[in-house]
Amino acid sequence: MYRYRIAGLTVSSDVEIPGLHAAAGDEAADVAIALGAVQERMDEAAASGPNWAMTPGAFLLRVPGIARFWLTGGAAITYQPEPEAAPGDIAAFLTGATFGILLHQRGLVVLHASGVAVNGHAVLFLGPSGAGKSTLATALAQRGYPLVTDDFCVVGADGAGRPLIHPDGRLPKLWAQAIRHLDLADRQGAAVRGRLSKFYVEPPQVAASPAPLPCGPVYALREARGPVRPGIERPNIVDAALLLRRNAYRARLIKQMGQDELYFRLAAAVGNAGGVFQLSRELDFAAMPRVIDALERHWAEIGQLAGAA
Amino acid sequence: MTRLVWLASYPKSGNTWFRLLAANLSAANEPVDINDMGERGGIASGRDAFEFHTLLDSGLLTHDEADTLRPRVYESMAREDDGEDLRLVKAHDAYLTTALGEPLLVGARGAERAILIVRDPRDVAPSLANHRKIGLDAAIDFMADPTACFAAATRAQPLQLRQRLLDWSGHAASWLDQADLPVHLVRYEDLRLATSATFVAAMAFAGREVSVADAERAVEFARFDRLQAQERERGFIEWRPRGGGALFFRRGEAQAWRRELTAEQVQRIESAHGPMMRRLGYALSADEGVQQAV
Repeated sequence: MYRYRIAGLTVSSDVEIPGLHAAAGDEAADVAIALGAVQERMDEAAASGPNWAMTPGAFLLRVPGIARFWLTGGAAITYQPEPEAAPGDIAAFLTGATFGILLHQRGLVVLHASGVAVNGHAVLFLGPSGAGKSTLATALAQRGYPLVTDDFCVVGADGAGRPLIHPDGRLPKLWAQAIRHLDLADRQGAAVRGRLSKFYVEPPQVAASPAPLPCGPVYALREARGPVRPGIERPNIVDAALLLRRNAYRARLIKQMGQDELYFRLAAAVGNAGGVFQLSRELDFAAMPRVIDALERHWAEIGQLAGAA
Repeated sequence: MTRLVWLASYPKSGNTWFRLLAANLSAANEPVDINDMGERGGIASGRDAFEFHTLLDSGLLTHDEADTLRPRVYESMAREDDGEDLRLVKAHDAYLTTALGEPLLVGARGAERAILIVRDPRDVAPSLANHRKIGLDAAIDFMADPTACFAAATRAQPLQLRQRLLDWSGHAASWLDQADLPVHLVRYEDLRLATSATFVAAMAFAGREVSVADAERAVEFARFDRLQAQERERGFIEWRPRGGGALFFRRGEAQAWRRELTAEQVQRIESAHGPMMRRLGYALSADEGVQQAV
């Protein structure tokens, strides 16, 4: 049995999930992941899509050729692999969709984000799959900013309602091309799936402690092309709220789970903390040093680099 | 209900221009911003719609695995109501089946019908070379390759899902010869020559009655020199120029191939695609010679 810590929760799993922080102890876990029989359909679903269905307490996710996943009460994930599934496939989809949905099911705020620690604060980069979140976070780790999270990220709150980020990411997942351009071949680990040229990478810097970090600036990534010029802009509060909501891990579920209010409050909280920004940059590895320079200048401007480390 | 209609074409055949014409139907006083079309319809190979409907990370799927799920995405799209009567969705995919043997674009359970835009392959080649930043001969090879795809990289995540194109002839044949959906054929050259009438007929097929006055206003707003001017001023969001700053709205002419291709290049295209060119009414150089002799 494996034990991990995700978003402050302890997770027990009968399958190894690379890229997460291991947890010690043997108290009952908050979330249990186990092999088991999963039905093919859900009767009387409250909402559904082509390969998923949900009720208020349960969620069925089908990944054709890989597995069916059944999530209950934000506390248990049962998976039944399909005959064609290869080793590693289950773990890839546990973190690549299933666990994020379970966190939504728990009523947590989950962003589609990778992030690094800057001066003791978590700086997040939001964007859809392929936006370059992991690549940017890993490039920043090469500059000495410890990786905090990769791909998804729960935003909690401290006693005063200030947003807190749990450092969850241990191994970012990068495509072969990014590994080559960032010169990380010696840190390349196992393939995320045997069928993909996407690999776990041992980052140059990782957050030293699993203790949550206060939330610093949050950047929504977009490509600079056409009329969009490279740069960092601060959207107004309404657009900032829309950006955060659009970059919820599975934004479609927010309405279905009745969580709109959570994300409006998040926008206010993040706005009062580090702020929400839009980072437009060329999707070109050659531009990466310029992007990082621009971020460091921005952190100096907004005081993110000031104060105690 | 929003009616879904594919706007199918081999790349560089006028699909974007057609979408701009359609977008300008709702423009009253000034042309639609060419950078404000993103929300209008989308493209069949877009990752956003795929992930919205399946909740999966498309980057964790192989191209073939994504293909087996794409029919489910279009079934879901067909049930969406976005408040409009018609949604034109661009598709560069050839009309093919998935590994499981069902149509990738899911036949009549997805879009109701398809508008297929074709263009003289001798004019496609120079435009494709510009678009892919490759030489003309490489573009001609690509158009003759039955395994040709867009967004098929496996060492990085392409912006879009993979699109299997077939070769230029195979692409047109796949759409014209399938029996799942009614297809309305639009030749780019006819759209250039008689824009308004050709456009109105295609929109009528899609179920949208367009008045001559509205069509002519849209045609005026989407005039090629106006599109180029917008692109020169602010760039085009659907286009990533590299280095030299080549334009997306490059030329838009019919018959420019007579200046742009060598005789040998013309010969290569015609020998690869002669039967389909004739079927679509594109006279081969040899045919013209015969006509001149007569």
